[in-house]
Amino acid sequence: MPAADPRGAALLAAALALPGVVSPAHAQTAPDQGVIGLRYFDYRDWQPGAERMTVRSPSLYLLKPLSDSLSVEGSVVYDAMSGASPLYFNTLSGASGLGITDYRTAGDAKLTKYFDRWAIGVGGAYSGERDYKSRSLNVDVRTWTADKNRTYAFGIAGTKDDINSATGVAEGRHKETYDFLVGVTQNLNAGALIQSNLTYSDGRGYYDDPYKLFDRRPGTRHVLAWLTRYNQYVARFDATLRLSYRFISDSWHADSHTLEAAWVQPLPYQLVLTPGLRYISQDHAFFFHGPPLGNGLVAGQPYSADPRLASFGGITPSLHLAKQFPDGWSADVGMSFYRQRGSWHIGGNDTPGLLDFSARWYELGVQKTF
Amino acid sequence: MPQHRFTFRAMAAQHEIVVDALDAVAAGNAAQAAIADVARIEAKYSRYRDDSVTTAINRAAGTAAPVAIDGETAALLRYAAQCHALSDGAFDLTSGVLRRAWDFRRVPPALPAPAAVDALRELIGWTEVEWDDGAIRLPRAGMEIDFGGIGKEYAADRAATILESHGIRHALVNLGGDVRTVGAQHDGTPWRVGIVHPRAPGNVIGSLELAGAAVATSGDYERFIEVDGRRYCHLLDARTGWPVDHWQSASVVAPVCTLAGTLATLAMLRADGDAFLRGQGFRFLLVDKKGRLVT
Repeated sequence: MPAADPRGAALLAAALALPGVVSPAHAQTAPDQGVIGLRYFDYRDWQPGAERMTVRSPSLYLLKPLSDSLSVEGSVVYDAMSGASPLYFNTLSGASGLGITDYRTAGDAKLTKYFDRWAIGVGGAYSGERDYKSRSLNVDVRTWTADKNRTYAFGIAGTKDDINSATGVAEGRHKETYDFLVGVTQNLNAGALIQSNLTYSDGRGYYDDPYKLFDRRPGTRHVLAWLTRYNQYVARFDATLRLSYRFISDSWHADSHTLEAAWVQPLPYQLVLTPGLRYISQDHAFFFHGPPLGNGLVAGQPYSADPRLASFGGITPSLHLAKQFPDGWSADVGMSFYRQRGSWHIGGNDTPGLLDFSARWYELGVQKTF
Repeated sequence: MPQHRFTFRAMAAQHEIVVDALDAVAAGNAAQAAIADVARIEAKYSRYRDDSVTTAINRAAGTAAPVAIDGETAALLRYAAQCHALSDGAFDLTSGVLRRAWDFRRVPPALPAPAAVDALRELIGWTEVEWDDGAIRLPRAGMEIDFGGIGKEYAADRAATILESHGIRHALVNLGGDVRTVGAQHDGTPWRVGIVHPRAPGNVIGSLELAGAAVATSGDYERFIEVDGRRYCHLLDARTGWPVDHWQSASVVAPVCTLAGTLATLAMLRADGDAFLRGQGFRFLLVDKKGRLVT
């Protein structure tokens, strides 16, 4: 099953986070070069005493200018996820052993047309797993001032998910989500840039996790997210400081604050080193109950013991290194660690007994412009 | 009392041994001894190993000379004979030849030609195998025996016994989903075993508690192909050469894992698997074709 966060909003945010979009000076004309990139992403998480989940995912990305004012881009990703999740059990007994591997294929494509003072992009995405299919369409419009120092962005996305554990608990269930985004990016003096985006996500349908023993969630979810980014060029080091703060207000009451800081440091030999640190504090969903499983279950009321809906604080230190090579080649490698604890939550530990959770992921990428 | 978990790979799968013991070193030694025996059994009976007993027996199929076997192999053959009788021939140690017609890894997936399956069925016949306590002979060239259906469960039982012989009183052995316990956990609570959901990776559809007993799970999701919307899994009925589809998975509790594994496989092969197990008096958890739990 995919993660609980709304996919459409993530897609829009990702569209606006694509290279070249953050700094408006580049985004206003159609790209004149194509880009092809190959990435490999390796993720593993664990809890004390047990390994849980691994994801390995190679992906391919392509951006191609079709004309002076039209470009197309797309990516394809193939995830292999495997692992056991002995949260409440000592071990698992299954025909293939302690866990099975599930595969997910996903792809997205987008067409963007550029005009003198605005651009419009239309895109679609598809994701398929054995029991979960997701399709979405998105449209975004950007417009900028004559001096290109300010850009306004508007976006709409619609996602339809089909959940079909065909011979399981959930048969022919659906979920629909609509996402809206408004944002502004402003170039400030002295090499600084500020961006603020407001996204609203409205979803209705089947949210339960049909494979968990007790799990019944509300049939709707509304999420308001406000993200503000601030980038500052620091001439003394020829580096850029990136700061961001995101606040999420959620109808399930799993509100969260995320603070992120990164330092982009160019080095000799065409290298760029970026250390980063992120902190998130999330409140628990109103229907979340911590261990033991079944604690607080009331017939007819929503209930979930999914740790992703618990109250916790999490810290992610990361390090990323990129190198430019001749002829438009570049390569990068990044590594992140994540540690989550109930006691790191702002306002104290609301979920006693929640197991600590750790994860690590690394990614490798190779890219060529043509 | 601390709980020590040892994970290891063997027989192309992930396994684990969990031991409740005050002395970490003693727990480690016991686990290492158990793991060594699992490796020994794999080397001895794996059909993928050139120097295994299984390969030696299969290579001599159709020749005049019988192959000498030791007491352990003879015991396994005696057990296989019982399985054959109890299942009215559905469980047959010589049915591994069907693997040559059923390729579950082929892309795109395709069903074998009925003629190919029928030809291979000519080579299946446990009752024709000549064997006794000291030797075995497969009468026709092309015949094979395959311990794959009982080897892992047998190894799990042996591993548990080895742990006990090292003084361990609270342990759990899980070899690729086949579980055998030694006692309960140190505080007296049973070991909680989650049963993997047949249609969702890493998720659980039910659970069983064990204190000294064993559980084995057989399922249609370990290896399968889907053709025209229908699933064909690797559990083949030796009498027909074709897969069964009465259940998505079967988990059976028995005093030893070897028995649990056989009962789980037998239940999968029978449309009345639940009645069969109830009649035999064993605790079980079956998942039917529609994904419903039957206990």
